Amino acid sequence: MASPEYVIAAEDLRRTFKSFVPGSPEKVAVDGISFKVGRGEIYGILGPNGAGKTTTIKILSTLLSPTSGKAYVLGADVDDEKAVRALRRRINMVSGGEKGLYYRLSGRQNLEFFSDLHGIPKREQKRRVSGLLETVGLSEAADVKVENYSRGMKQRIHIARALINDPEILFLDEPTIGLDPEMSREVRGLIRRLSDGGTTIILTTHYMFEAEELCDEMIIISRGRVVGRGTVSEIKEAISDVSCIRVVTEEDPSAAVEALAAEGLDASSTALLNGRFAVRFATRGDDGLGRYERMFSPFRVKSIGIEEPTLEEAYLSLVGGS
Amino acid sequence: MSPRAVCAGFRQQAIQFFTDPQWIIPSLITPFMFTMVMLFLYKDQMDGPVVLQAVLGGGVLGMWANTVFASSFSISYDRINGTLEPILISPSGAYSVLIGRSIWSTAIGLANALLVFAIAELMFGTGLSVADPALFFLTLTLTLFSLASMGMLIATTFILTRRGRILSSIMEYPIYVLSGAMVPITALPEGAGMISLALAPAWGVDAVKHAAIDGYSSMFGVGILEDSAMLAALSSILLAAAFLVMRRIERKILETGSATRY
Repeated sequence: MASPEYVIAAEDLRRTFKSFVPGSPEKVAVDGISFKVGRGEIYGILGPNGAGKTTTIKILSTLLSPTSGKAYVLGADVDDEKAVRALRRRINMVSGGEKGLYYRLSGRQNLEFFSDLHGIPKREQKRRVSGLLETVGLSEAADVKVENYSRGMKQRIHIARALINDPEILFLDEPTIGLDPEMSREVRGLIRRLSDGGTTIILTTHYMFEAEELCDEMIIISRGRVVGRGTVSEIKEAISDVSCIRVVTEEDPSAAVEALAAEGLDASSTALLNGRFAVRFATRGDDGLGRYERMFSPFRVKSIGIEEPTLEEAYLSLVGGS
Repeated sequence: MSPRAVCAGFRQQAIQFFTDPQWIIPSLITPFMFTMVMLFLYKDQMDGPVVLQAVLGGGVLGMWANTVFASSFSISYDRINGTLEPILISPSGAYSVLIGRSIWSTAIGLANALLVFAIAELMFGTGLSVADPALFFLTLTLTLFSLASMGMLIATTFILTRRGRILSSIMEYPIYVLSGAMVPITALPEGAGMISLALAPAWGVDAVKHAAIDGYSSMFGVGILEDSAMLAALSSILLAAAFLVMRRIERKILETGSATRY
């Protein structure tokens, strides 16, 4: 059984799917993942498409059974039918995108439907539905059919739906996918407020700034395996062999950028407002700055230095090296 | 089973029905079409029992079309719409929601059947008379219950497969024929007649005819009480089977992760 301070404990979780092509080997979606999540944390699961993020979330939210390994959520084994029935009252899930709602029903009717399925007492239901509509800023559109909602409104009503049973753990599978920056920021603010209120959040995302802003801890997975784990700064430290170099030049350094690309380094040049150019790239090894200073010198180097890697650079380094 | 979730399924289906025009085709237009075809076929023999056979046939066909469409389409809709997963991870699960939806389909089916009788009278002047209106209504409702139970069983299997809508088309005609709604079971080949014995709606149609036609000669050689008892027993078995199948299917979905495929 999971220890009580952790609300989620995944132990050597593995999930395979049969191939649709006869004779082909099984597809391994999750390959021996282990991690623990503390109560009230925002825990990130990061990884490229097909890495196994959604599969992991589906296993933890009781939508999929693991092929092997164990996962305990709020102390309940997600592969134990009886335990799962009780667990479902205490968790909920939001999938990214526009699906998961009845479009011919209004926002309020959708929330009432799902609150009935969660057995929320009738007296409580009205108060809770109105409160959630208020929380996600949809009070005025409460009685409008969901088919008339914008994408952002649909995503907000999604989140309200998932909060209908006041879950202790909320699984968010790419909740800001396809949203404009303003709406994404609103959703991130809502996630932060939920966490401040004591809800444990499991978040999958492609957006590194989102993970950096929200997550207390995270795992980075690639091809079903954990390739990095810890807090944002721990993950950055994990790539201590990587140096992030920033060069500012007076002239367009495209030729040098191309030379870096030929060496397999991911560099790009950005034109600054003051007419200068900035190049940033991550490099492994112990080349020092001298070599790059010489490489960029034809373009009149204004400054050159080593900076702390961003989470994105750490992520790309970990995923690329897996 | 959760009564709250049953009511939620009923209400959700009702709202979908009134706000989504595509429900009108199987629920209102199809039964009328069936009845028209049947009445045109029999229009030269407009005596009591023949007309009743035609009208009852149209009514039952409409009820079954509605039930099977509702069963398959509602689940396919959930699958496509991404609402199947939130239903499956709710504490109530899908079974209660499906019961609620089936009750709505049954209610609409009953309204359909009565409308079919009314339209037959108004458009064709069938001069239809029912021997025992109270028993007729009761047996018709029981028949609807049997159709809804079959719909439930089918709907549970539709949760497992994205081919629900195709299966629903395959399921429609065998039941029309084997229930005795289209032609009397006695006119079917011997083997088919044996299958009818196992079908609750066939006993329902027989019971309805008992209630409607004075001196009706049963397709199974039994009285209305035996018909009704068989109808209730077979319908209950169907419901219980639907429940058991649902449990198995929920487990299967966890194993295959197929709830979002469509």
